[in-house]
This record gives sequence, structure tokens and C-alpha cells, in this order.
Amino acid sequence: MLHTKIKNIKDRKLSIVEAEKFISSSDFGASIFFSGTVRNQNNNKSVIGITYDSHDSLVIKSFEEIYNEADKKLGIKDKAVFIEHAKGYLNLGEVSIIIAVACKHRDEAYILSRYIIEEIKKRSPIWKKEHYQNNEADWLKGNPIQYEKN
Amino acid sequence: MEKPRWASRISKRTILVIINLMKVIIELFGASRDFSDQNSLELDIENGSSIKDVRNKILDYLDINFKGNENFIKIVNSSAFCSNDNIISDNYKITNNEKIAIIPPIGGG
Repeated sequence: MLHTKIKNIKDRKLSIVEAEKFISSSDFGASIFFSGTVRNQNNNKSVIGITYDSHDSLVIKSFEEIYNEADKKLGIKDKAVFIEHAKGYLNLGEVSIIIAVACKHRDEAYILSRYIIEEIKKRSPIWKKEHYQNNEADWLKGNPIQYEKN
Repeated sequence: MEKPRWASRISKRTILVIINLMKVIIELFGASRDFSDQNSLELDIENGSSIKDVRNKILDYLDINFKGNENFIKIVNSSAFCSNDNIISDNYKITNNEKIAIIPPIGGG
């Protein structure tokens, strides 16, 4: 069971309550909620906010691939996964991503939650532009996406 | 009927070159959004061009418009490209008016 969405922050904020509603089931004995928030410091600079940009359809595709891989790579078949990522300008402390997972046992839930966020960082086309106190802003360098050159 | 004066100045080769061109639309994301005030670039490329050629075309565009800004060049050289929600290789052949997206180095979460 999978829910994915890119939410334009102008329209609606990410909600842990919605995540909980989606994954809650008596089939599962363990739930993990991960949320990423905008922090006030990065690389010794005072951050006041972050603009998130996203290639929406490719990001959703990557979320689905990551979810499906959990069957094959991690052997976790029974699961509920909720992934939402924000798009647009976020102030300090606002939630940029929610990953909620529910599995039968806690070992699986911890592994799955960690796997999903690490794979998103590597594969999902999302970009951050940090805004600083002196009115400056910078796109973060990020990591090149892996692809076949030829 | 007499030919207009401009017509006599165009060589056969020029006509061939003009006919041989097609358009590609590059959708901009992340750091590449700084390449233009618009959300995309529209470039003329030769028929049968590949992603490798498009990459060079974008570098030419940056050279003309941003005097070869080093950061922008790095972004282009480390970017992937995407068509119809698939990451495509450097040898991928572009079709006329195809919309492709440039995918600079990523880092969400």
C-alpha cells in the first residue's frame, strides 16, 4: 500500500496526521514517522528558508520504484508507505518531507524507513535553494543522478 | 518573374543548413533555472542530434549569454537529461520539437 505526493506548499502543508491515517492498520505492529524540516544553519551560513524544486512526475516514479524495490531487495512484502515531499518556499522549521511506514515488526519498519530516505536522496530529482540572512540565495550542489552514458 | 535580391545571396549550402535544423525545448530545473528568466530554453539543433550535441548547444548558449560562467558549465556537464519521465543516455536521438528536461545534481529531503 503506497501513497505518494508532491505538495505545493502554497496550497497545503504536509501533515503527519494524514500520514498516520494512511498507514494505520491492525495488520501492522510497528510504525515509524520520519519528517525532514528546514534548519537554520548550513555550511556555516545562517539559513532563513529553502525553496524546493521538483520534477514531479519523475519524483513520483522514483518513489514507486523505491517502494517496489523494498519487496525484492529488503524482502519486506507487507507494508504501508506514505511519502510526501514539499515544493516551493519553506520557512525555518517547516516540514519538507514525511515518510511514514508501517510493517509487521519493528526491525522491518526501521530498515524500510531508512532505506526510503537514503534512496530518495540519491535518486529523486528534487533541488534545494537556500536563502540567507543577507538576502543572498544559493542552489545546493547536490549529487549527479546516475545514468547510462551510452 | 525576377527573384528578390536577397534570394540570390543565399547559397545552396545555406538552404540545406536551414532545412536541416529542428527545435528542442529544454525544461529547466534546480540550479539550471538560473540559465533563463523562463522555465525553458528553446534551441535550434541539427536533425539527428543527440543529447551529447544538445549539451554542447547549451554550453554555446551559456558562452554567449553568460560569458561562459564556470558554475553554469559545471552544472551542464554534471547533469542528466530526461524525456517522457525516463532518464536518457548521451546517445539518445532527439526528434523535432521534443521536450526534454535537464536534471542537474539532486539533493532533496
